[in-house]
Amino acid sequence: MTALAVAAASLRRMLRDRTALFFVVLLPVLVIAIIGTVVHNPGGFRIGVLAGQAAGPALATSLVDDLGAAGPVEFQTDEQAARTALRRGELDAVVLVPVDLEATLLRGDDVVIPVLAGGAESTQSAVRSAVSAAVARHAERVQAAAFAARRTNSSVAEQLPRATALQRVTPRISVSTENVASGSDYLPLGFGYSAPTMLVLFVFINALAGGATVVQTRQLGIYSRALAAPVRARDLVFGETLSYLTFALLQSALIIGTGSLLFGVSWGNLPAAIALVVTWALVGTGAGMLSGAVFKTPDQASAIGPVVGIAFAMLGGCMWPLEIVPETVRTVGHATPHAWAVDAWITLLSRAGGLADIATDLAVLAGFAAGMLGLAAVLLRRRLSS
Amino acid sequence: MHSVETVPAHLEQTSAQVLIASRLAKRFGDRVAVDDVSFAVAAGETYGLLGPNGAGKTTTIRLICGLLRADAGQILIAGQPISTTATPAKKSIGYVPQEIALYPDLTARENLRFFGRLYGLHGKALNHRVGKVLDLIGLSERGRDRVESFSGGMKRRLNIGAGLLHEPTLLVLDEPTVGVDPQSRHAVMESVRSFGAAGMAVLYTTHYMEEAERLCDRVGIIDHGRLVAEGTRRELVAQLGEHDHIQLTATGDLAALADRCRGLEGIDRADVKDGQIQLLATEGRRLLPAVLEAAERIGTTVRSVEVAEPDLEAVFLHLTGTALRE
Repeated sequence: MTALAVAAASLRRMLRDRTALFFVVLLPVLVIAIIGTVVHNPGGFRIGVLAGQAAGPALATSLVDDLGAAGPVEFQTDEQAARTALRRGELDAVVLVPVDLEATLLRGDDVVIPVLAGGAESTQSAVRSAVSAAVARHAERVQAAAFAARRTNSSVAEQLPRATALQRVTPRISVSTENVASGSDYLPLGFGYSAPTMLVLFVFINALAGGATVVQTRQLGIYSRALAAPVRARDLVFGETLSYLTFALLQSALIIGTGSLLFGVSWGNLPAAIALVVTWALVGTGAGMLSGAVFKTPDQASAIGPVVGIAFAMLGGCMWPLEIVPETVRTVGHATPHAWAVDAWITLLSRAGGLADIATDLAVLAGFAAGMLGLAAVLLRRRLSS
Repeated sequence: MHSVETVPAHLEQTSAQVLIASRLAKRFGDRVAVDDVSFAVAAGETYGLLGPNGAGKTTTIRLICGLLRADAGQILIAGQPISTTATPAKKSIGYVPQEIALYPDLTARENLRFFGRLYGLHGKALNHRVGKVLDLIGLSERGRDRVESFSGGMKRRLNIGAGLLHEPTLLVLDEPTVGVDPQSRHAVMESVRSFGAAGMAVLYTTHYMEEAERLCDRVGIIDHGRLVAEGTRRELVAQLGEHDHIQLTATGDLAALADRCRGLEGIDRADVKDGQIQLLATEGRRLLPAVLEAAERIGTTVRSVEVAEPDLEAVFLHLTGTALRE
C-alpha cells in the first residue's frame, strides 16, 4: 500500500513534468526519424568497385553498370581501401574488374572476375549470387555480340550496341531474392537501426536524469516526514523503484509503438523482445535510483545524468556499430550495459534470434540491473534513515 | 534506553498523558544534542519547547517521532513505545516538520491523499478526511491547485493539514511559523489553539517567546540540549521573583556602565549585548534614577530605556545568561 502510494505520487510527478516529457516523448521520436532517414537502407547489396577499373574501356564500364542491379556501387580508390571498407562492414562485396577485361573478351578468351566478400557466410553466398547474375547478364551481351560478329564478319565492338539494344527488349526470366536476415554483425540500417538503439539510449538517459525527482523528494523532507508514519524505509525505496520501472516501460512501449507504426520497424521475436525490453527497463530503473541516491542536488542529477548516459551510449554502440571501432574500444564498450543490450537487439533484428540466442545478454543485463538496484537501495535506505 | 523504572515520578503514565519523554539523550559525534530531557504532554494540552536555534528542539522532536534513535531514554506515545521502525505508536502522531514537506507539483488534494495513504487511509474514508482537512485549513477552494502556486501561508497551512489527516492524538509541530508573514502566522496559531481545545495533545517548538506565551499551556525551556525549566508561564516567571527586565540603549563605555550597575543594590544581572545593556532587577522602576545617575557619572549617554514586566524572555535570560534569539 505504501509502496503503491509512493509509486503513484512519483509517477504522477514524472508525467506532469513537461520538460521531461519533451525528452521522453518528442526527442526520441525525432532522433529515430532523423537517424533512420539519414542512415537509410539503400536496398540490395553495397558493391565496391575500384575507380580506375570502372573508368576504363566500354566493356568494363558496362559491367559496372550491370553490377548496379545488385545494389548501389561505391567506388574505391584502391584495393587496400576496398578491403578496409569491407572489413568495417561498409560494403558487402568488392568486385575486382580485370584490367584486361575488354581485350580478353574481344579475343574471345575466358575471363575470371574476382569478388571479395565480407560478413557472415549467408551474406557472402547471397552477394555471390547477385554479382554472378549481374556478370551473367553482361556476358549474355558480350556472347551475343561475339556470335553476331562471327556471322557477319564484323567486330564485337560493332555488334555490342545492337546486342545491348536487343537485350533490353528481350523478355527476361529472373530470380527474385530478398535480404531478410543478412547475418551481418551490425544492426540493419534505417529505422531498424535507429529505433532499438534510441530505445536503449533514451530509456537509460531519462532514467538517470529522472534521479532528480528522488533527490528533490529527499531535499523537500518528504521521505523524512513519511518515515514519521508507520512505514518502512524499504517500502519507500520499493515504491520509487516501481515508479521508475513503470516510467521506463512506458517510454519503451512508446518507442516500440512509434517505431512500428510510423517507421515500420519489426521488433523480432516477441517473447525475446519483451524480455529484453523489461530487462533494459530494470537497468534504467537501477540507474535512475542510483542517480537519486548518489547526487546531492536535482541539478546535479539533471546535468550529469545525460552526460553519463550519452557517454555510455557512445561506448555501448548506440551511436555507431561496435564492429567499426577498434577491438580495445569494443571491449571497453562492453563494460556498459548498453553494448549488451545493443548486441541483443542485433541478434533479434539482424539474425532473427530468439530468447535462447540472447540469454547471455539478458543475464548480463540482469546482473547490471541487480547490482545498480541493490546499491541504490542500500544507499537510499541509509540516506533516509540518517 | 532507560528502563521504565527510570521514568521520573512526575512522568509516570496517567490516562491523560499522551506523550511521555523520559531522560532522552542524543549525541552526534562529540556534540551533545539532547541531554537527559524529560517531559510529558497530556491530552488537550499544548506544550511548548522554547529555545534558540541549535538548542536541541528539532532533535528532540525527531526522537519523539521515531525519526532518530535515542542514545538513551524512553518515549511513550499513548502508552506505546516509539522506535525508528514502523511501530503502531506512529499512527498516534501527526508530524508537521519545519520545512514545507509537500510535493510542489501535486495538488493540495493529491498531497493530502498521499500522506493519508501512508497512515492506512483509503477509499471513502480517505476522501472524507481530505475534504474535512481542506475545510479545516481553509483551502477547500484550492484543493485542485498545485502547491507550487500557493502563497507561503497557504503552504504552511497545508503542511499542518497533512499532519492532521489521520486524526492523531499527538500533534507535533516543529517551528511551524518560521518564515511566515504576520497574517499567516496568526492563522497558524489560531489553528494550533483550536487543536488543543479539541482535545489533541500538541507539542510545539518555537524560538519565538510570544508564541510560547500565547499558545502554550506549559513551556519547557531548552538550551544546549538540556531542559533547564518547565512549567506554566506563571510558574516560570515566578522563578524570577519580583524582577523586571530593563533594557538601556546607550552610547559610550557600556561595559563600565554595566559594571557600575552590577554594584547597585537590587540589580541581579547586567549584560552588554549589541549596543544595549540588559538588566534584571528587583523593582526595576524604583532603580531607574540610580541607573541613569550612574550613566551620567561615567559619561554614557542613555538614548532610551525600556522596563518590561518579567516574561519568558527574561526567564530564559535568567536561566541561561543569554538572550533567546542569540
